[in-house]
Amino acid sequence: MLIFSHWIIVFLLAPLFVGVIAKVKAFFAGKKGPSLFQPFFDLQRLFQKDSVYSRTTTWVFRAVPIICLAAVLLLALLVPLGPFKAPLQFTGDIFLAASILGLARFFMIIAALDTGYSFEGMGASREAFFSCLCEMILFMNFITLSLAQHSISLSSMIGGNLPLSWKLWGTVLILVVGSFFILILAENARIPIDDPDTHLELTMIHEVKILDHSGVDLGFLLYASAIKLFVFAGILIPIILPIEPVNKVMDMLIFLGGMLAVSIAVGIVESTTARLRLNRVNHLLLIAFALGFFGFVVKMWKG
Amino acid sequence: MTSWVDVICITVVFLSLIILSNYRVAAMIRIFAIQSFVLGLLPFFLHAFCISNRDVILGVVTMVLKAVLVPSILFWAIRHVSMRSEVKPIIGLSASIILGAMIIAGAFWVSLSLKLPGKPASDLILPCSLSTVLLGFMIMVTRTRAVTQVLGYLIMENGIFLFAVSLFDVMPVLIEMGILLDIFVAVFIMAIVVNHINEEFEKNPASVTFSKMGETF
Repeated sequence: MLIFSHWIIVFLLAPLFVGVIAKVKAFFAGKKGPSLFQPFFDLQRLFQKDSVYSRTTTWVFRAVPIICLAAVLLLALLVPLGPFKAPLQFTGDIFLAASILGLARFFMIIAALDTGYSFEGMGASREAFFSCLCEMILFMNFITLSLAQHSISLSSMIGGNLPLSWKLWGTVLILVVGSFFILILAENARIPIDDPDTHLELTMIHEVKILDHSGVDLGFLLYASAIKLFVFAGILIPIILPIEPVNKVMDMLIFLGGMLAVSIAVGIVESTTARLRLNRVNHLLLIAFALGFFGFVVKMWKG
Repeated sequence: MTSWVDVICITVVFLSLIILSNYRVAAMIRIFAIQSFVLGLLPFFLHAFCISNRDVILGVVTMVLKAVLVPSILFWAIRHVSMRSEVKPIIGLSASIILGAMIIAGAFWVSLSLKLPGKPASDLILPCSLSTVLLGFMIMVTRTRAVTQVLGYLIMENGIFLFAVSLFDVMPVLIEMGILLDIFVAVFIMAIVVNHINEEFEKNPASVTFSKMGETF
């Protein structure tokens, strides 16, 4: 039951989250922008279409959209969403979270290589390089948080009384939040790292790998990336905002407000910064890693 | 109030890390100005709710001198010398960032065994000032342009300032002012020297390539 309520939230709110980001970007560009529900319409349009497959592709290419969607849905179960506790939690599930992300990424890369298209191969190689750095950042932040909370279970690491310890660990948490925010942008191919709207093959990382997918498959992949963004924001929010399981309505409001704030922040970053040159992206990721590492050092120093 | 001092400390170290990872001289100078501004805020937060005249004077002088005057002199220098805007690091930027992170860890480790005579406003001041000094030193060693080396020196001075502020109550304000004046004069002399190097090279342009201007080696 808990699982389904989790999935319903994710399915309903994740495209809306993307819609809010698009709205913020339109506002900064001085435009009215598409409706908040545009991602839903896009997905509906895609789901009505058939998929077209190249003759060079094999079953791997067809399986990947389903695997990616399943992986992010599994990931969503590990994260507490507002008043709903994570249905799946056990000691050490941060490793499961990281390996689910790794699994989805591995199959994306394999599918990109499967098409035999040189640009997809380039995208795959870039993704492999940058995600290797992203994983370092993810684990650095998880180590710091688990030290602060004495737990290596994701939902007890980020939830609980962590936001209330801002007085004590404020400096550490600022560093962790900053590093994690860059990680959100990097993992979900947002602007300083990768442009989700561009279709210029030479520069893109994530989009180039879904060039050959069409119809329902493309819909699955877009849904999966929206859910991934939503889940990452869902990990960030309990670090900042206190969600105590006392008042369900209040919790939900806090959670939705946090989501809105994160999406606006992402939208502002996207509309005020330019996309980084490809060979500068690893510097930004390394800075995020250094931030996380600095947070770890400060945590160790404070004891 | 201690937590604000903490926030300023980690911001200063973080900004030095950003300067270390930057490849444009102008951006480096701008971030240095932000770092000095943040440092200038520090005296206001040292004594909770009872800001004395000394705090105000030190903070304002620091901000005016290091966040406005010194950056504008540096900007004047790079514009006048018209050298290329990219830094030329000896080791790559990625390696610099990782090395910087290691330097921070090392500074924290070393400060475990350092004991201060008085009790500083925050226990982060000592390790953060040490990290800033070392990061500034690293910028000085691994960048080949004269202006970036001066920037490294200024970041080192920022680290020393952070440390001096923790001993602010036992130190006469005159010494800090003297140091600030020295910094100002040093940057001024540097700008003049860089300018003279440029003029000297302009006299016989055939003997030296354009990109070598303002480089020390």
